[in-house]
Amino acid sequence: MTNLPPIPPEPPFSGLPTTPVPIAAAVPSPPLPGVPGTDPAERVPIGGFFAASEAILRQPRRVWFQLTQDGQVRLTFLLLGIALACALAYGLVVGTFSGGNQLWAAPLKIAGGLILSGLICLPSLYIFACLSGAHTRLAEVCGLVAGLLALTTVLLIGFAPVAWVFSQSTESLAAMGVLHLAFAAIAIRFGMKFLARGFEQLNAQFGGGLRVWTTIFVLVLLQMTAALRPILGTSEDLLPKEKKFFLSHWTESLGLTDSGASRR
Amino acid sequence: MNATTLLQQVPVLLRGETAQVTLWTETPSPARVATWLAVTVGGSSAFGAAMGWWRAPEQALFTAVKLPLVLLATGLGNALLNAMLAPLLGVNIGLRQSLLAVLMSFTIAGAILGGVAPLLAFVIWNAPPLAHSTSAGTTHAFILITIVAAIAFAGIAANLRLLRLLERLGGSAVVARRVLVAWLSVNLFLGSQVAWILRPFVGTPGLAVQFLRDEPFKGSFYEAVFYSLRRLFLD
Repeated sequence: MTNLPPIPPEPPFSGLPTTPVPIAAAVPSPPLPGVPGTDPAERVPIGGFFAASEAILRQPRRVWFQLTQDGQVRLTFLLLGIALACALAYGLVVGTFSGGNQLWAAPLKIAGGLILSGLICLPSLYIFACLSGAHTRLAEVCGLVAGLLALTTVLLIGFAPVAWVFSQSTESLAAMGVLHLAFAAIAIRFGMKFLARGFEQLNAQFGGGLRVWTTIFVLVLLQMTAALRPILGTSEDLLPKEKKFFLSHWTESLGLTDSGASRR
Repeated sequence: MNATTLLQQVPVLLRGETAQVTLWTETPSPARVATWLAVTVGGSSAFGAAMGWWRAPEQALFTAVKLPLVLLATGLGNALLNAMLAPLLGVNIGLRQSLLAVLMSFTIAGAILGGVAPLLAFVIWNAPPLAHSTSAGTTHAFILITIVAAIAFAGIAANLRLLRLLERLGGSAVVARRVLVAWLSVNLFLGSQVAWILRPFVGTPGLAVQFLRDEPFKGSFYEAVFYSLRRLFLD
């Protein structure tokens, strides 16, 4: 994966060009086909927090390429940092629905639940990848999962203003729950696409195994909403004393809404 | 070879790169065998801990010890028989190579079980305690099915890799299948009884948490199945 052709040397500067440069040449070219890293721009290391956030949205090939290079551990932690920060920020917006303790509890639960879900599912992803014959290293898989979490949470930040407006307008717990789930579904869909295409770019395709893993990961995330409840509403306890399957938790929450329960 | 290099062999086993694995079974090294054993024990132990945790933390510890024991006792108990069956059925390998081939499949199963152990632990974490039998009916069934599915997946994947290895060693798919079926039969036969002796693994709400039941050698797995079937159809 790292056996890539060397970057061609820059031609020496020789003053003004002898032939006029067409206007089209100034327009950024579309992504080059082939393995990540064929475009010299993809070989530039990703520096900081904002550069990584931008790269994961606009230059995923650069992220995939950098995840195969020496500084991959730093990039992985950078992506995890983005995921953590964005999840905390989105959690704050979620917490504004109920206010009070939820202003700090919801961010912690969302960020903690997301990272925990990634950690729980990471070993099985690596095992599925290997069983499917993928030549990928554990560090690369860690990086891809960190990228999945980062992209998901960055997209959630994009939805945050909308979510905040609704959380200030409605009193319905169910309506807010459905809205947050819809936003999360869209964000996770893009995150999963990043992961799947990342495996393809690393020459590690495993369609069936990845679909199974995706289902498991989504189920773990959904169950986290019940395991760490309440995330949206309020409760006397910070964490639940009774264990529940997420579907029964949601059904009960909908029932409470029907009986007139609200954020307060 | 350092520990990292040795651990990098595990993905090669999982991918089923038979050319490399054949070489490893022909020229074994103590370090490699120790690594394969460590993965087998570590993975199955983690899975066992998650299984037993549902009943009690003590049961988690017991099952973490007993599950690897089932695998190792089955592999070692049938080593001689497996080594005899292989040449008789057409794959001309010796005791050492057949034992390594079986250990390779256990290593794959151990790695898979270790990989899904956090998922099982998450399921158990979200399940009502086993002691609350009133609420545990459906959950009990769901968790048992999850455990069986994980073990079945690990077993199938490991045996598919073993089949590929036997095909390479025997030079024929028919011969390899014959040997695999024979090995599976004897391993299942002994493994079921070893598991019966080392019960409980998940535990039962009404019974005490124990490392072994009071009379572990009383009866057998097959007698229990027979009496269960008789109760089901004749009573």
